[in-house]
Amino acid sequence: MNKPLYLSTLSLLGMLLFSTTLSAASLQAELVDSEGQPLANAVLTLRSEVAPVVAPATAVMDQISQQFAPNVLAVRSGTAVSFPNSDNIRHHVYSFSLAKRFELRLYQGTPSEPVVFDKPGVVVLGCNIHDWMVGYVYVTDDPWFAVSDAQGKLNLEQLPAGTYTASLWHPQAPDMLPQDAGQVQLTEAGSQQRFTLSMQAPGGQTAPSAPVSAFGDAFKKARDAAQ
Amino acid sequence: MLRNSFQARIAGVLVLLLLVVVGALYVAVQTATNAAVRSQAREQLDVGSLVFQQLLEVRGRQLHDAVQVLAADFGFKDAVASGDTETIRSALINHGARINASAVMMLGLDGNLEVSSDRQISGETAKRLSAQVMQRQREGVQIFLMPIADKIYLLVQATVTAPLPIARVMMGFQVDDAFAAELRELTHLDLTLRATQDGVADIWISTLQPAQSKQLQGSMSELANDAISLIGEESYLNQTLVLASGDGFEVRALLHKSLSQAQEAFAPLDQKILLIALAALSASLVGALLLARSVSQPVRQLAAVAERVRQGDYQASLDLQRGDELGRLATAFKAMQQGIAERERQLAHNALHDALTGLPNRTLALERLGSAITAGRPTSLLYLGVANFRAVNESLGAEGGDLALQQLSRRLQVVLRPGDSVARIIGDEFLLLLENTNSDSAVGIADKVQQLLLKPLRVATHDFALDCRIGIASYPVDGNAPEELLRRASIAMQDAAGMPSHLQVYQQGRDDAQQRQIRLIRDLRHAPDKAELLLHYQPKLDIAAGQVRQAEALLRWQHPTLGMVSPGEFIPLAERTGSIQLLTAWVIEEVLRQLREWAGRGLRVQVSLNISTDDLIDPQLPARVSKLLAEYQVPAEQLIFEITESGVMLNPEVALQVLHGLRACGISLSVDDFGTGYSSLAQLKRMPVQELKIDQSFIRDLDDASEDSVIVRSTIEMSHSLGLKVVAEGVEFERSLQLLGRWQCDTAQGYLISRPLAAQAFETWMAQYVHAPSTLVH
Repeated sequence: MNKPLYLSTLSLLGMLLFSTTLSAASLQAELVDSEGQPLANAVLTLRSEVAPVVAPATAVMDQISQQFAPNVLAVRSGTAVSFPNSDNIRHHVYSFSLAKRFELRLYQGTPSEPVVFDKPGVVVLGCNIHDWMVGYVYVTDDPWFAVSDAQGKLNLEQLPAGTYTASLWHPQAPDMLPQDAGQVQLTEAGSQQRFTLSMQAPGGQTAPSAPVSAFGDAFKKARDAAQ
Repeated sequence: MLRNSFQARIAGVLVLLLLVVVGALYVAVQTATNAAVRSQAREQLDVGSLVFQQLLEVRGRQLHDAVQVLAADFGFKDAVASGDTETIRSALINHGARINASAVMMLGLDGNLEVSSDRQISGETAKRLSAQVMQRQREGVQIFLMPIADKIYLLVQATVTAPLPIARVMMGFQVDDAFAAELRELTHLDLTLRATQDGVADIWISTLQPAQSKQLQGSMSELANDAISLIGEESYLNQTLVLASGDGFEVRALLHKSLSQAQEAFAPLDQKILLIALAALSASLVGALLLARSVSQPVRQLAAVAERVRQGDYQASLDLQRGDELGRLATAFKAMQQGIAERERQLAHNALHDALTGLPNRTLALERLGSAITAGRPTSLLYLGVANFRAVNESLGAEGGDLALQQLSRRLQVVLRPGDSVARIIGDEFLLLLENTNSDSAVGIADKVQQLLLKPLRVATHDFALDCRIGIASYPVDGNAPEELLRRASIAMQDAAGMPSHLQVYQQGRDDAQQRQIRLIRDLRHAPDKAELLLHYQPKLDIAAGQVRQAEALLRWQHPTLGMVSPGEFIPLAERTGSIQLLTAWVIEEVLRQLREWAGRGLRVQVSLNISTDDLIDPQLPARVSKLLAEYQVPAEQLIFEITESGVMLNPEVALQVLHGLRACGISLSVDDFGTGYSSLAQLKRMPVQELKIDQSFIRDLDDASEDSVIVRSTIEMSHSLGLKVVAEGVEFERSLQLLGRWQCDTAQGYLISRPLAAQAFETWMAQYVHAPSTLVH
């Protein structure tokens, strides 16, 4: 799994909501799997009682060296994502996900129109001519979110202190569904928290390199019996 | 027949051996062929199953590739992603058609059947399919066989990714007769595929003949791997493969290798073996017959010669030039032939010649005489016997005797004229055959022979004069049969003993008397058994009392052809030939039997009988008589045994013992024929006798003045003084009886009183006499 060290853009645009204390809180989170291994490309989203007003934003899902970059992109609903092609070959990006079906026919450079992800959900990206290329756009309604780095760490800053409801997501999460991570109390002093994601059991998903039949055994048995 | 059976046997044995060899060969070839066919079939089955596997896998891989490509088709993915069932189904049908898939299905990632090109797929099948798909998924297997509805499918699955897996697409390719035929094409094996669903074997695909397939369906479970089974007319070696099995279904493949077809390849070999066997058989048959013939022909030749040898022909030629065993046998045969001829000649010579002197023997002499008689030549026989040969033998020993006889034979040969011959008949008896010689001339020659033999013989250091007797008989005067002439010459020779010249010509009639004697001697032995003997009783008169109370039993022989033979003739013969005891025994028993019979009718007579010399020296006699007395319940007093003086004299000790024994029984003893012997009175006194019989020669012509009267009278007196009674025999005249009466003789016997009478007549005579007893004595 490609995990370029790439800090996801913090779209923390909601600023300083309340007047009583204008002080801001921050969260340093560490995301691990059930075995305690750091998880890269995991998404943490936070929401509180009071939702800030957020302006529409844009994001970029690049294609570099025939891979989507970043591998996981988290965006707020309504974000327009552009799909520049940094390779010198063409790509044919598509998605059949329910959250967003689209298709960018063979192209080079940046298509003129970015794709607007208007419904929350997971959008799996593929390239029609490069089967190995898989990318994910996690579309959420939550105001605060971040994607973990290769060490499974992420930072959320400039948040109003208070209580938040946290959600977690990862491409290998069971059925690719977000997981509830409970309440998080943020103070001005800054919080540190460790989140654990349960992951889908590995295996079974890797495509076999060659077709396998079960006939060999039957014949072998028959031959052995005949000896 | 010998030839045939011999040939047949050799041929039979050879053919039998060959048959065994060919049979063993055939069995060996057959066994090897069968093993080869079987192992070849086994191998073919192994190879076939490998090919089958490859075929399935290659087919599966090809299909998988095709399906994979299909599943990756963007449009297809698009359609699948659309989520619209009808759209998806149409896409499935469309894309399946591109690669000739018979059935296309789409399943969710959880294995549930979502869309199928075949609308009629049952829930049960769908469930089974799902379970199978998941099972295979876990095993990493993407190609497998499964029955769906009434068909067997090779199922290939591929994942539809967009780009993550979103569905599974399953394409089914029908495994049908074409597939089976292809395999058959490749492997030359028959294939049967059977699918079972819910325990029912409802799908059958087979390259076998329909009839065979049908039969197979009935007996599928009985087929074992590596075992030969009969399907229809053909035998097959089978291999069973379970290609797929799961909950409620099974796909099984059967590879069949026809052994019958494989064996057909060896049929020419069998034919060749049969051909070779037949050729070998006929060749060996011919060979055996030829061999047998080469043996049996010489054997037959040998057998023919042997047959001629049997018939006495020793000159049969045997032309068998062979170097082998049969040749040696033929040589041995020839030698044997000559050997037999030589020995037979020797035997013939021995049979007709005397070993000691080399002279012709009796047989040859008779033969020659026979020839002379046949030719009618007058011939004289000189029968020569050496009277003193016994003396020669005793003084010189047997060897000396033989030497003497050899010298004698040489001397006899000297006198022979041409045509004459001399033969040795037996012991010291020789025969000269003088041809063309009558009796008179023969006497002359006999005389010459005697002169010649007068000269003493010298044997070792002894000189001997031989005492020769010669008897002469001539043909045709004295007979015309060789045996007869020889016998008569012999009789003449015996008679010559009594002649001063020791020479005797045969006297007519001599032969007859001798013949009668021989016959009597021979027949006498059987006379008692043949009831030819009988007893006559001659009454004895008690002179003083004038009564008859006694009789003498006299033996008579009624010969069947010669008539009544007198005792005077046969008794001496019996005594000479040792059969007298036989007669005495018969007489004793017959007298006792008669006395017993008479006693039953009230007649009591004292009977005297004659005991021979031989009887007197038999110590068992008293015991035997005693036993007979008891048996017939006759008182011993009724018996008188008459003995002769000479009988006692022969062996006085034993005789006296016997006489005392008889006396002890109570039997009276009488001395017969007194006066004719030389016994002394002293001896007479020693004998336990009670009576004396004066011989009839003294009585017959008895008168007052004769010499006999003195003897008779003194004998009577002497006897009386010794306490003996006196019986006078042969009383024929009244005068004699009167004289005897006067001299006080006790008893008289003779024709005057009565001749000897048969038992019946005697009984009658006695009865009459009792009524008139006094007619004789005055």
